[in-house]
Amino acid sequence: MFQIKPIVSMLLRNKSGPLLLLIQIILSVAIVANASFIISERIGLMSRDSGIAESEVFDFSIYNFDDSIDPVTQPLRDLDIIRQLEGVKAATLTSMTPLSGGGWSSNFSHGTSEEDRKDGPNAAIYYGDEQMIPTLGLNLIEGRNFYPDEVNAGGPELASLAIVSAQFAQDTFGDEPAIGKVMYRGNIGTQPMKIIGVVERLQGAWVDNDNLELSIILNVELASSFNRILVRADEADIVDLKESIPAALHKEHPNRVVRGFTTISEHRISVYRNHELMAAVLSMMVVLLLLITSLGLAGMVMFNIERRTKQIGTRRALGAKKRDIISFFLVENYLICLIGGVLGGLVAVQLGQQLMTLYSLPKLDLIYPLVTVAGLLVLTTVAVILPARKAANISPAIATRSV
Amino acid sequence: MLSMKNISKVFKTDLVETHALRDFNLEVQEGEFVAVTGPSGSGKTTFLNIAGLLEGFTHGDFFLDGVNISNLSDNKSAAIRNEKIGFIFQGFNLIADLNLAENVEVPLRYRGFNAKERKVRVERALEQVGLAARMKHLPTQLSGGQQQRVAIARALAGEPRFLLADEPTGNLDSLMARQVMELLEDINKAGTTIIMVTHDAELARRAQRNIQIVDGQVCDFTMYQGEHGSVAQAASAPGKTAEIISVASAVAS
Repeated sequence: MFQIKPIVSMLLRNKSGPLLLLIQIILSVAIVANASFIISERIGLMSRDSGIAESEVFDFSIYNFDDSIDPVTQPLRDLDIIRQLEGVKAATLTSMTPLSGGGWSSNFSHGTSEEDRKDGPNAAIYYGDEQMIPTLGLNLIEGRNFYPDEVNAGGPELASLAIVSAQFAQDTFGDEPAIGKVMYRGNIGTQPMKIIGVVERLQGAWVDNDNLELSIILNVELASSFNRILVRADEADIVDLKESIPAALHKEHPNRVVRGFTTISEHRISVYRNHELMAAVLSMMVVLLLLITSLGLAGMVMFNIERRTKQIGTRRALGAKKRDIISFFLVENYLICLIGGVLGGLVAVQLGQQLMTLYSLPKLDLIYPLVTVAGLLVLTTVAVILPARKAANISPAIATRSV
Repeated sequence: MLSMKNISKVFKTDLVETHALRDFNLEVQEGEFVAVTGPSGSGKTTFLNIAGLLEGFTHGDFFLDGVNISNLSDNKSAAIRNEKIGFIFQGFNLIADLNLAENVEVPLRYRGFNAKERKVRVERALEQVGLAARMKHLPTQLSGGQQQRVAIARALAGEPRFLLADEPTGNLDSLMARQVMELLEDINKAGTTIIMVTHDAELARRAQRNIQIVDGQVCDFTMYQGEHGSVAQAASAPGKTAEIISVASAVAS
């Protein structure tokens, strides 16, 4: 039996305790809703598919300090050596490593006029050869890969063909087919680059960049004194390759430094560390807040039971069943929780607006305050039910005794 | 209406066994006004609690309005308390945070009456005790006598078969006590059976029957009739209670 009206009367005539609990619930809902939203955002960011076989791909760098080493031919020779090693499935020179936090990017336009160059999309640039796609494990969904004879060794100005990510194609050309389209790089580049392929997904290096999914592979082996190489191998072979690759390269030429050997999975962990830390701290805060709120609820109920022992006995004497006593405490706390939830939801939206303005966070999804309030109702049930059952067991005989 | 046969109530702790009631026998007929007296610790409150289904008993048979009270479920006991019994407590036991109407309404809500029915009954009950004009007041805004009248209204609102009053005038001065007693007498005349536990011999004499409990047994009774005139008195030794009660019942009927 629900006794909402007399319970409301009792709450209104005895405000201080419920008011403190109400304030606690309002703050909890506001903070928990926003924190949950941020956690969910962070987890969403961290769980984005890069399109890469992350655990099978690793990168390393070769630093050639000896002037006798040819900066153009030696990297190609090194690449051949690496591709011959046991366990290597594919390898390519690259200008950047996905999810590493550093690399190349540029604006692209579909014309050379000043007007055309306005608002061109900014995309990550991977310079590489025909082995870039198999090395990263990308899924080519339109067009074709580079042929070996289409790949030029040298500087970025040699790029003439491009393979783009599907997101880049969609953002740049909409529903029109990207294959065959010509683009120009940067604000000054005049070298036309023809799109010959589209990969389903390829992320860049900067995970906090809005254009993370916009990437382009250009047909250039960017050879110099300092080279970065991507290698694909079975996970089980990577440990051995970390030994055999430097050994083979030093055997070819000892005067250089070979270092790095980091898988894309490891880059992912590193680049998302701050997000993970924030999600962990906020999760802990949410748990603590909910714990404190539930302790507050349980404490309030226990205090009320102590205070109302005689009243509970009297109610039992007047005909209240045990379930009436339990529902009395549940309804009383549900009311506080619901009022706190509604007010807390409004504060949460306002807080979300402030966070959006101050820290460029996305707009708070209203489902979060709603789910928080629903969760709080469950928490209220758990926190109240045990003390309420204790109250229900108070003997009606207490009504005739001095307490 | 109420029949207790060889009722005993034993409170046990690890070291001590206390017999609050032993071989307790009592018959109360419909419409009677019975006063229960006895020294402190004699078992009056235990008797009242058992009679009001507020606590169980260890042995014996107890019938209330034809219903065997032994082994009733908690829910069933609560329902019988709500429907058949009205309680009046020494300390009034009003809920301080509820106004008079809300206090009187408490047992009616447990009965499941709708709002309209509750309103009619609350107004009628408060009118009966002369407090209809103050139904929105809080208990703390009333005198002790008025609070007890509210408690009586609460007990009457559900139209119970009998009232159990635990020292109903114990916290009142003599004037207020007399007013409350007159109210109880009026209620009894209207047909409600009343069992009243009291220390006050003067008040006890105003009842139709006076039961004295000593050491957990009915050991003495006095029968009054008419305007408080005595027609029979009897005394019993332990073990003779049943016989005396049957005499009392015969006179009463």
